[in-house]
This record gives sequence, C-alpha cells and structure tokens, in this order.
Amino acid sequence: MTRNVGIVGGGHTKWGVREASYKDLIQEAGKAAFEDVPNVTPDDIEGLFVGSVQPERFAFQTHVAPMVAELIGIDVDSMIARTELACASGQAALRYAWLAIAAGQIDTALVLGVEKMNLPRKYDAEAQTSMANVMDREFDGVNGFNAPPYFAMIAQRHMHEYDTTREQLALVAAKNKTHAANNAFAQFQKEVSVDDVVDSFPLSPPLCLFDCSGVTDGAAGLILMSEEKAREVTDEAAYITGSGQTCLSSNSINNLPSMSAWPQATQAAEQAYEQAGIDDPLKELDVAEVHDCFSISEIVEYEDLGWVEKGEGGQFMEDGRSQLDGDIAVNPRGGLLGCGHPLGATGVSQALEVFNQFRGTVEPERQVPDPETGLIHNLSGSASVHSVMTLARERL
Amino acid sequence: MSEDDTTPETSGTAHEDVATDGGSDRDVIELPDQVELPRMLDFYELQTAETTQISEFYDNLADGRLTTTRCTECDELHFPPRIVCPECHSEELEYVDLPHEGELFAFSTVRAGAPMGMEDEVPFVLGIVDLGPVQLSARIDNAEYDDLEIGDPVEMKVVEIDGPVDHERVFYRFEPQE
Repeated sequence: MTRNVGIVGGGHTKWGVREASYKDLIQEAGKAAFEDVPNVTPDDIEGLFVGSVQPERFAFQTHVAPMVAELIGIDVDSMIARTELACASGQAALRYAWLAIAAGQIDTALVLGVEKMNLPRKYDAEAQTSMANVMDREFDGVNGFNAPPYFAMIAQRHMHEYDTTREQLALVAAKNKTHAANNAFAQFQKEVSVDDVVDSFPLSPPLCLFDCSGVTDGAAGLILMSEEKAREVTDEAAYITGSGQTCLSSNSINNLPSMSAWPQATQAAEQAYEQAGIDDPLKELDVAEVHDCFSISEIVEYEDLGWVEKGEGGQFMEDGRSQLDGDIAVNPRGGLLGCGHPLGATGVSQALEVFNQFRGTVEPERQVPDPETGLIHNLSGSASVHSVMTLARERL
Repeated sequence: MSEDDTTPETSGTAHEDVATDGGSDRDVIELPDQVELPRMLDFYELQTAETTQISEFYDNLADGRLTTTRCTECDELHFPPRIVCPECHSEELEYVDLPHEGELFAFSTVRAGAPMGMEDEVPFVLGIVDLGPVQLSARIDNAEYDDLEIGDPVEMKVVEIDGPVDHERVFYRFEPQE
C-alpha cells in the first residue's frame, strides 16, 4: 500500500436491548466518535462507509448511508457506501475505508456500524427469520438453519474430530463474559462461571444459551485518516498494518470446505500477517478481538489464525494462553458473547477496542499491559467469509 | 354499551382494544391489522418454471427422485442444482439422481429461536446428511436429538407443503432408517 492509514478516534453507544431507534443509534455513535477527537469535525470527512446488515428487515429502511450522512451532518466529497457482508459488515466498511485512504482517493473517512435487531417481543421470530436468510434460503434456511444450530454442528464436529470438550467451550464463554462485566458498553455485564455456561438452557446442543452471542441493538463509529493528516490532529493513532479477506467459492452447506476448520481464516490471516511483517503472530500480537459469535468459534480461530496446531484450540483455552495474562489477550472487550452482536457494528467496535487498548482507556480490570500490536477478525454467514486486520500503536 | 359502563372494574382493559376510538376531532388514518402472508415467511416459493430455472429439480422431487445437476462439459456435480456450472460456466447441465440414503455427518436441535412459520415444530432436529457425492442440510424427522449419533443411517422422504398457494409443492426431509 502506498500510504499508512490510522484510526484517530472512535465512539460507541451502549449495546443491548435499547429503547432507541435505528436512527437514534446512528446519532449517538456519530456524536461520540467526533467528541473523541475534537480536532476533526464532520466537515473533514470525505468518505463515509456504513456497515449494516439488515436495516430492510429490522428497521424497514434502505439507502442507509445517506441517512447517516444527514444525521451526522457530513457532506460526502468522494465516496459513500453501505457494506453488507452479514456479520463481517463492520470490518468490511473499515477495510474499504482503509483502501480508499491508502490508495490516495481520500484523506479522511468515517466508518460507522449500526444494527437495530430487537423488535417488540411479538416479533421475536421475525428476527430469527431474518437470520435464517443469511444462509442459502432455498436449501439451508428452509431447514431452520440459523446461526445456533449451524455453529452447534461446528462444535459437534470439532469435539468429534479433536476431542474438544464441553468445558473448554464453556471456558471461552466464561472468559469473555467476565471481561464484559467490566465493559460499560456491553450488553451482558455479569460475571459467568464455567458451571453457569454448562447449566444454561441447552438451546442447540452441544451449545447452551451462554455459548451464544445476543440479539443486540448498537452502533460504533471510527474516524480514519492518512498518516500525514493523522499526525496533524493527534499523537494517538492505531495504524492499520495489514488486512485480508477471503471467500472460497462457497456459501451453502454442501460447498463449505469443512465443518471443523476455516481455511478462509488462515488465508485472510496470512494476507494480513504478510502485509504487517508478522512472522510469529502468537509472539508478535498483544491483543486480539476475534469473532466469538459462539464459544466454539473462538477455539477454531485460535487454530486457523495460526496460533496453535489444528485441534489444539481447546487446550490453548484450557491452558489460559488466551487470558489477559496469557500469550495473547483474546477478546478483552468481552467479545460478541459478552458485548452482544449488533451485526454491522461488531467489527467497528472490535477495532475501537484495540485502539482503546493501545491508548489505555479501557476499564483497568480488562486492560492489557501496554499493548503495541493487535488483530481483529470477523466471519460471516456459514463462516464462508473471513476478514482479518492487524493494527499497531506505531507503524512497525 | 353506554359510557356509564366505564366503571373502575372494566376501564382497566379499555386500552387493550384500540388506542384511538375516533372520538377526537382529528382525522384518523387506519392501518390494516395484518397483511397477506409475506414472501418472507414462505421458504418454498421458488419451485415452478415461472419462478426458477431449476424447476426440474422440484418436478423430479415431486416424482419421488432426489436429483441435482451435473455439468456435461467438465463433469462437476453441483448441489444445490445450477443453471450455469460454477466450474466452467457451461450451460450444458443434466439432472442426475442422488442416493436417497446416507449418514448423519452432523446434527443438532432447535429448542428456541426458530424462524417464523417453524415455531410450532420446536423442538426439531436438523442435520447435515452425507449422501456420498454431496452433503446437504436437512430436517431430520421422527428423531430425538439424544437418540442420535454421528454416522447414523438416514433415508430421504418427500414431504408436501401445505399452503399458501394452490399448486402442489414438495421438499425433501430425512429420517432415521428402520
């Protein structure tokens, strides 16, 4: 890439079951993002990238990027788009903003992720129908395949092939939910034990309710700048050092490469590591926000992001290597399991967390000691798409 | 009912009927209570030649045959069926039979959070069936989650879809072999 790009500011709404509309959430996150970096105003924004997955279904609203521009008061000079890539939409928005700045098309961008998922109680099944439509509707969604049973089968296959245990899954959920207990933005702010996870409602076995992320309303925003511009407005930035994204000509069940491994994640990570000059990710990365939509996901990711041998992800968790004081602090934000998962906002929030970890502005209970490098990872749908981005407190 | 009947005992339920009683001087905009079954609810809408170019798959299924497309140019077998081969982009595809018996590759059950139209079937079992040439997702009928194991033999059955359209529609499900 020709130019370095930094995250110079960001803002977050409270996440959860919010008494707030889709438009309310956009305004809260936009205001918070600009308040974070007073030297940047909406007038500085040249490109706007909005990660949002199903506003048509949840909010009955289309053409949402111009709505964001209006609500936050942005005259877009050059680039405006909404990214829809299911659960990876937020990182997609961030990736395309990075590319636009790196390519020299623009100097400053706003990335905003937003989802309003909680509908009045009687419409619960409507949200689940929308989630089933993330899979191939005609041949997979039709069978009731939304996320919990699908990831339950990933867990079942991983346990079958690698002897991963029910308790190892629960350790992931307990770790992340305990981090979220100290995150003021998180949907679930209650410490949870391994027994609590195993004893929670067996929603789609082997996964229990606490192995699953929530149905969440929320938004988050980030301001990105070229390094040259960034240094004019701030001395605190998280520079994007690498970014990879893959999909292996597969989406429906029959065409997925595996039900226990995600080679797409490995490829996306290798792209990002190569760009960032990372040879040994486990040694060189200090903090990672990975896509724990379900507890099993994080275990597969330890393996397929190249941190541990295939099949050793459960042991990696059991040995405490992903805890705050482990080899790599994984999901100190609280993850999707603890923070909830407002689809389009998740990747944006993960990157903001890495930036905040670099700045040392998160709650002290979950602050990683002096991190200099970080990673975010998202998957989407039937885990058919994987995105990995690496960040550094200073350009490596 | 006269207005005098609005006693403390009955007034508590009044708000549950309608928010607007038309008693004010304001114009009233009436909304329908419900709409016709939206397409969102109908997972089976694309089966006829008017709606999809893979209608032969559904015609075969109605005849009791589980089929899919194979490319006559490059021999690639597809599932789901296609009209263009994703490997070589040939349109010279033929329908071939798939086995009706296979093994459970993976399975789980839905105990809550089912999509609309499926809530009444909760809990239900669903799985991935390995037919050899393909692995497809399917509902597993006549089965309890706790009784199943990976590798269990299952066989296909054709089910009819009842409503909301007049023409015959079908889909495939699997169930444990006897």
